[in-house]
Amino acid sequence: MDTNKFLFFFKDMQTSSYALQLVEVEKQFGDVRAVDNVSLEVKKGEFFALLGPSGSGKTTLLRIIAGLESAGKGSVFIGGKNVTKNPPYARGIGMVFQDFLLFPHKTVGENIAFPLKMKKMSATHQQEQLSWVLDLVRMKGYEDRFPNQLSGGQKQRVALARGLVARPDILLLDEPLANLDRELRKEMEVEMRRFQAEIDIPFVYVTHNQEEALTLSNRIAVMKDGHFEQVGDKLELYDEPATAFVASFLGLNNTISGEVLRQENDFSFIDWKGIELKIPTPNGIKPGDRIAYYLRSEKMHINPHGKSNPVDGSITLTAVLRDIIFKGQYSDYFVILDNDEEMVISDVPDIESLKIGGKVDVSWLPSSGFSFAADGEE
Amino acid sequence: MAVKQFLHSKDLKALALSLPGALFIIFFLFIPLATIVVYSFWRTESYTMIADWNLNNYLTILTTKTYLTFLFRSLSMSLAVSFISLIYSWPVAYYIAKYGGRYRLILTMLTAAPFFTGILLRVTAMQQILGPIGVVNMFLSNIGLKPLHLLMYSHYATGLGLIYLWIPFMVLAIYLSLLTFDFKLLDAAMINGASPLRAFWEVTLPLNWIGTCIGLALVFIPTFAATITPKFLGGVNGALYGNILAHQFGSTGTWALGSAMGVLMFTISSLFVFIVFKTVNLNRSGYTGKIAGE
Repeated sequence: MDTNKFLFFFKDMQTSSYALQLVEVEKQFGDVRAVDNVSLEVKKGEFFALLGPSGSGKTTLLRIIAGLESAGKGSVFIGGKNVTKNPPYARGIGMVFQDFLLFPHKTVGENIAFPLKMKKMSATHQQEQLSWVLDLVRMKGYEDRFPNQLSGGQKQRVALARGLVARPDILLLDEPLANLDRELRKEMEVEMRRFQAEIDIPFVYVTHNQEEALTLSNRIAVMKDGHFEQVGDKLELYDEPATAFVASFLGLNNTISGEVLRQENDFSFIDWKGIELKIPTPNGIKPGDRIAYYLRSEKMHINPHGKSNPVDGSITLTAVLRDIIFKGQYSDYFVILDNDEEMVISDVPDIESLKIGGKVDVSWLPSSGFSFAADGEE
Repeated sequence: MAVKQFLHSKDLKALALSLPGALFIIFFLFIPLATIVVYSFWRTESYTMIADWNLNNYLTILTTKTYLTFLFRSLSMSLAVSFISLIYSWPVAYYIAKYGGRYRLILTMLTAAPFFTGILLRVTAMQQILGPIGVVNMFLSNIGLKPLHLLMYSHYATGLGLIYLWIPFMVLAIYLSLLTFDFKLLDAAMINGASPLRAFWEVTLPLNWIGTCIGLALVFIPTFAATITPKFLGGVNGALYGNILAHQFGSTGTWALGSAMGVLMFTISSLFVFIVFKTVNLNRSGYTGKIAGE
C-alpha cells in the first residue's frame, strides 16, 4: 500500500523530464479496443513519429493526447503535469491537422495569432510572436490574405505557424503532409525538420507513410491494432525490426515464407515452394515450423546470368527479368524465380547487359534479411 | 449577321433563363407595389379613389400619435420576436445539424410540421392553450392557482403566438447554414485555447452569420405585418400596426391612407433587412466562391 503510494509519487516526479508521458492509456469504441494499454515517453526536443496503417489507433491516440478524445483508462502527462482530465484548451499543446482547419473567415495573421488572443496576450507581445513565427515559416507579407487565397503549401505553413506561435509544450501533427502533392511534401519535410530543430519544441507526428517517418523523426513507434509493435530509434527499427509486422511495414518488400527443413549453426534451411533457402534462425524455431523471411530489395544484387561475382556466403538464384522500373539513382528489377515466385531487387541501372526477358542471377547475404515465426501474418 | 450571332449567344440563353423569375417579380411584386405607391399619394372619398396628388396620407401617419404608437408597438414586437426566435433556434438547429445523423431531414421537417395545418388553425390552437379556458389556465385553476392573466389576450400571448408561428423559418435557415459548416474547425479552436463558448463566438457564429441573417429577415417581416395572430391572441387592446392597416381596406375604406401605411411598412422591413445584411462581410463569412463581377 505505502510502497504503491511511494511509487506513484515517484512516477509523478519522473514525468517532469519528459515533454509527454502516457501511462497505460486505453480507449474502447464499442467492441474495438482502439488504444490498448499504451505507455510512452517523449523527451523534450524530440521528433517522434507514430507510424501505423489506417485503423491502427494512431490518430485516436493523438486525439487522446490532445484531449479531443477522453482516455478510457490511464493518464496523460504534458510538460510534467497530469492533464488527463483537462479539456483541449487547457493542455498547452499545439496541433496541425490533415486538412489544415484554418478559420476561413480570419486572415492569415488572425489565424496565427488566434492562440495568443485566447491567452489574452497584450497586442505588442502578440505582434512580436506573430512576427517571429512568420519569419520562421517564411510567410511574411501574407498576414492580410484569407486562407482561400493561399496554395496548399502556404496553408500548411500557416497551420504550422498557428500550432507553434504560443510555444506549446508539445506540437501534435496528424498526417499534415497527406494532402500535399509529392513535390511539396518533399519540400515541407525538409522545412519541418528545420522548424523543429530551430525551436526545440517536441513534435509528435502521426503518419502511415514509413518514408516520411524515417525522413523526419528521431524515434518511431510502430502501431498496430491499438498497441505498439516496436518503439525505438529509427535506425534501430530499420536495422532490427522486432516483429514481422514492423519488418513488412518498414519497407522490407520481399516476403518469403516456408517450412523449416533442417538447421545448421545459426541458420535454418527452408522449403520455399521448391527452392531450398538458407536463412537466419529466429528464436525458438525447430524443424517443421513455418517461418517468414523479409528481405529488403536494396540489399540484393542482380547480374546477367553467369556474370555474378557474389560476396562470400551469398546465395545466388537464377531468374528471368520481367520488368525494370528506372528510378534515377537505382532501378527496381522485377524477376520471376524458378519456382514462379516474384521478387524485386533495387540495384544500379545497367541498361547495357540487363534486358527484359533475359536470364539473370539474383544474389544476397542470408544475414541481410529478417526471419520470424510465421503466426498467420500475411 | 449580328442578329444571328445574338440568337446563338450566351446572352440570349441567360436572358431566357432569367425570364420566368423576372416575370414573377414584375407581376407579383413590382406592379402591386407600384400601384400601392401610386395610391398612397392619392385620396379616398366615399369609397372612391381620387387622383389628386398629395402627401397628406404620409403626414397623417407620421404625425398622428395613434398611428405612431401602433408602429412602435409592431416594431418592438418584431424585434423582440426575432431576437427570442434567434436565441431559441440556435440550439435546436445546432443539435439537429450535429447530432441528428440520419434523422436530420425528418427532424427538420418536424419543425415545419405545424405549417401543414395553415395559420388560422395554428393560431386557434394557440388560443386553446393560452386563453382563459385554455390548457395552461385550466390546469392552474384546477390545482388551485390563479390563472395567468399575462397569457390571456395580451401582447405576451401575441408574441408567443408569433414566435411559435415563425420560428421554423429561423431553425431552417440556421440548420441549412450549419449543414455546410465544418464542425472540425471547433477542434482547431479548442486546441488553440478557446473554450466551447468562445469557440462558438469566434468560429461558429461568424461562419453561420448569413444563414442567421436570413432567419432574422424571415421572422421579422411576417411578424411586422401580422394581423391574424394579434387579432386572435391579442384581444381588444392587442391590435398591432397590421390590424390598423387592414382596417383601412375594410370598413373605413380609406385605401389611400392604407396604401401609405403599406409603403411605410415595406420601407421599414426593407430597412431592417438592409441593416442586418450590412453586418455581413463576404470575406469574413467563410464564403469561398467568386464574387459575381470580380
